[in-house]
Amino acid sequence: MTEPRLADELHKMEREYEPLLPIEKKLIWYTFATGVVLLAALVLISRAFV
Amino acid sequence: MPTLVEEAPVKHAPPPPHETAIEQRPGMSEDWLALCIGLFIFVLSLGLLFGKDILGWAVTTAVWTIPGKALAPASKAYATLPPLLALAATYVFLLVVMSVGAKLLRADLKRFVGGFTVVFALSYLCWFLGSWAYIAATPDKRAALKIPWSLNLTNESGFIIALLAGLAVGNFLPGISRFLKEAIRPELYIKTAIVILGGFLGIAALEQRALATSVMFRGACAIIEAYLIYWPIVYFVSRRYFGFSREWAAPLASGISICGVSAAIATGSAIRARPIVPIMVSSLVVIFAVVELLFLPFVAQHFLYGQPMVAGAWMGLAVKTDGAAVASGAITDSLIRAKALAATGIAYQPGWIMGVSATVKVFIDIFIGVWAFVLAWVWAAKIEPRAGEKVRAREIWQRFPKFILGYVVTFALVLAIGAAVPALVPKIKASMGQANVFRAIFFVMTFFAIGTLSNFRKLWQEGIAKLAAVYVLCLFGYIIWVGLLISWLFFHGVLPPVVKG
Repeated sequence: MTEPRLADELHKMEREYEPLLPIEKKLIWYTFATGVVLLAALVLISRAFV
Repeated sequence: MPTLVEEAPVKHAPPPPHETAIEQRPGMSEDWLALCIGLFIFVLSLGLLFGKDILGWAVTTAVWTIPGKALAPASKAYATLPPLLALAATYVFLLVVMSVGAKLLRADLKRFVGGFTVVFALSYLCWFLGSWAYIAATPDKRAALKIPWSLNLTNESGFIIALLAGLAVGNFLPGISRFLKEAIRPELYIKTAIVILGGFLGIAALEQRALATSVMFRGACAIIEAYLIYWPIVYFVSRRYFGFSREWAAPLASGISICGVSAAIATGSAIRARPIVPIMVSSLVVIFAVVELLFLPFVAQHFLYGQPMVAGAWMGLAVKTDGAAVASGAITDSLIRAKALAATGIAYQPGWIMGVSATVKVFIDIFIGVWAFVLAWVWAAKIEPRAGEKVRAREIWQRFPKFILGYVVTFALVLAIGAAVPALVPKIKASMGQANVFRAIFFVMTFFAIGTLSNFRKLWQEGIAKLAAVYVLCLFGYIIWVGLLISWLFFHGVLPPVVKG
């Protein structure tokens, strides 16, 4: 089997768009929100104790 | 980067393009090999603690105006050794050590020996040229060197010259590039250097324990940024605005956000992507790491010379791949020290800025396995559930970058010995000075190898423009600036120690 070329892959993606699933949206926004909250907490800790 | 490629459970993880031939023959992984070689050199350097100057013959290059006076053995005990003999001894020592390593990797030994010889020779030549006083000398050294001007780039400019030489070979001399292939192993070189660097930073930590603790804590915070703040946004942008499929978006997000090649391969494996996906992402990561490496240290020098540790953390967070990140940290270290000295008269101790870059990168690396495990679970359980497929916790260890153990060992050992027997600290410093000679050589070979791997023309022919568009948008529109902001939040006001006297 021949290895697919990137250009073909990109055309295929244009033809067959995969919409974002609810679980992907959850993964994205929960991860981001956790990151922002943890970042704020760590900045406070580093200012206060380190 | 080949760690994940060569370990059995990661069946779907392909290597970067240049390693295709190697991964088909199972051998020791480059991670374990880097750990062994780094520890070997570290242990030999500790001979000084027992009165044995084992590595004193290793060659060092000083900033020079007369070429004949540039090279010298590292130790005064070998002062009578002719410089060229010291260079030859260093080459032979490294050739033997690396050839044993190549054998363990099951590389083609004959081709490796030929390739390594050329890589060593060209890299060292670049290092030598970069040490020319008119390029390297800082303003405070011009009088002693009797020169009216210099570019003030320090001898680390040899790294940039090596990178440019590598780029020339990779893009314009395909025949030579193929000949060198077995020895073009930037990740092996940089990981070995990082193991050695652990001891060097151990000395720094010994002398400035409070600052070192603070750097470690703040470096650990970088994990949050790379995994939780970068990744979801890059994934979202590539899915929502560029229409990439999940199979492409996840490795791309990891490659851009976390640690380049290793992360792209680990993610590709975790979500069961086809081999082409992490291969193309890895190629892109290497190319952009070169672009970042060429300009970010100079931007940092211009704008951040008053906040050196912010600049170091920024390199660790913004530049992808271990090699390019620590290498940019090294260049930033010298450029900022030179600028701070010229502009403010403050002479910062060398190594701290690079140390921050390395610390940030090491912490990010540690969690690649954990992140791949999380993604594997999400994909297997929620996105593409497959009957009977279970994600095993031991995959976290299998994906753990093992060379980091070497970094931890050398760092902790130096710290422990120095703390337990303070009288030994001067000898430990001398030992790490000798090990550092080899670290610098591994660094310069890393630069050359990164350049050689970066074949811009080939990638363009592959139709990589759309993939590159996501990379450019996310890297230059988001990652670099968020990285700068977070580096500023954690490191502003934290300054390296100043050279006394």
